[in-house]
Amino acid sequence: MSKNAAQWSENPGFPQTHYVDSRIYADAAIFAEEREKIFKPSWIIACHESEIQGPFDYRLFNHPTGVPLIVVRGDDSKVRAFYNICPHRGNTILYDPAGNAKRMTCIFHQWSFDTRGNCVDISRADQGYQNRFCKQDASMREVKCEVGCGGFVWVNLDDNAASLGAFVGGAMDILEPFMREPMEVFHFHKAHVRTNFKLWHDTNSEFYHDFLHYFNRITGMMQPGYFDRRYTGFPNGHATVGSMEIRYDKYEGSKDRAVGWPGLAPGGWYMVDLFPGMTYNLRTSVLRIDTAIPLGPNEVIIEFRGLGLKRDTVEERRQRIFDHNMIWGPFGRNLHEDLLAVHGQGRAMRDGTDSRWVIQGREEGGTIHDEVGMRHFYAEWSRRMERPAYDPYREGKPEPVRAAA
Amino acid sequence: MVKTERRYQIEELVYRSCLALDAKDWKSFLDLCDEQFHYTIATFSPEIRKDMVWLDHDKQGMVTLFTNLPRHNSDHSPITRHATVYTVEVDEATSEANVVSAIQVFRTLLDGGATELFAVGRFHDTVKLTDSAAKLARRVVRLETRLLGYGYHVPF
Ligand code: FES
Ligand SMILES: [Fe+2]
Repeated sequence: MSKNAAQWSENPGFPQTHYVDSRIYADAAIFAEEREKIFKPSWIIACHESEIQGPFDYRLFNHPTGVPLIVVRGDDSKVRAFYNICPHRGNTILYDPAGNAKRMTCIFHQWSFDTRGNCVDISRADQGYQNRFCKQDASMREVKCEVGCGGFVWVNLDDNAASLGAFVGGAMDILEPFMREPMEVFHFHKAHVRTNFKLWHDTNSEFYHDFLHYFNRITGMMQPGYFDRRYTGFPNGHATVGSMEIRYDKYEGSKDRAVGWPGLAPGGWYMVDLFPGMTYNLRTSVLRIDTAIPLGPNEVIIEFRGLGLKRDTVEERRQRIFDHNMIWGPFGRNLHEDLLAVHGQGRAMRDGTDSRWVIQGREEGGTIHDEVGMRHFYAEWSRRMERPAYDPYREGKPEPVRAAA
Repeated sequence: MVKTERRYQIEELVYRSCLALDAKDWKSFLDLCDEQFHYTIATFSPEIRKDMVWLDHDKQGMVTLFTNLPRHNSDHSPITRHATVYTVEVDEATSEANVVSAIQVFRTLLDGGATELFAVGRFHDTVKLTDSAAKLARRVVRLETRLLGYGYHVPF
């Protein structure tokens, strides 16, 4: 029996933790609130340290709140982050996405800044400002910045935020043994998708959608140990997935591949989903990092990075690039399927479609097809947003007549 | 100076490769390729200031890729390749030609048929020449476009 309007609107009959009102993926007011309550006080990955290796190297980053940032390595090798907004008349200070800038000079009226955020020159300052305004009044706005969790550069717009370590907590422990060597980014691309950022993070937080991927359907799910992988939730909305049995001491790289990852068993796969939209994904010979940067309730840019080891030989690097492209490259076999699927969710859930619920009801002892990873995310989302994801407008939807099986 | 006949032959090879791929006629495309054929998609990232390879296959790798295409959950909107051969340089000693073409890829949505520019770049082709035939020995697609929306499975 199909459903009529009333039945379609009834909540799905799971415990309230096990479904989400799909309007949280489309509502502009909720999105504005997410920027303020979720993205502003969270630690967000801006780039990797290998992208700014030398003094004065910089990288631009569009923060999910909308704030344009410069991440720059100083003359003292310390990495700092600033607003990419000129304190004079609000121009963009640096235009290119990456480069080297001993002095960051605004093109508009040539005010100039050093890599510590000091204004070092105001053109014709004395003539125009006399004693009323000087360089010391024209510093850049600095934001919190830390390098960690595998050499990534993290930023936080909240001056009072706790440290990166406190934010991440134990969520990175599962990957720590694999990130002891310096890494290097070899792949970067962005995908622009008309969908909500949470839907991308959801896809990274559940393996049940392996049914989407032809190769995972015919190979991955058949592999021994597949259903042994387990989700673990951590404070602040983070979750990890990994093999229950870690035998990295037995393997120096994988035996059946030319190149593996130090300590990673063949077939090993570890994922760390960090609230509110970052994922570490270690598999075969590559570490992949996703950073979701929402532009609106139904629009997201996802930044994809592929990393190898800094000490890679040319041949090793070539193999990593090959492995990366095979699964996760822009022309690879999995990534497009994931992107197409969340694009489809965006299509079906945008404002006005009368999409009602997203069910996250699978329980399989926390193993790979359990949807506990998503539930864990929405518990934190609800806490931060001060409204439950299952009833974001506190309407108290009618309970279904039929109880859940 | 490349002989006119030769140039036509080489240009036609490039254009036929586009026609075959547009038609998803993988067999015809592979027939245009030498046994030693190698296909690469590469691009430069100004963000990480590095050259990147996004796809890299020999002929057998391309066969596998084509075989698997229908098994994927893909966007079904067709793409159309527009190539213009810019330069052809023939090395008589090796019987090879280096060919540079501009390439634009358009995507046409199934619903409503709107066409959007999807990607621009260059083909850097190496063509193997015999008395009677010209075959693709190497194709490097240098993409300028790096933002491909929710993506596509089929190589350009
Ligand atoms: S706006 Fe930057 S110097 Fe005037
Ligand atoms: Fe996937």
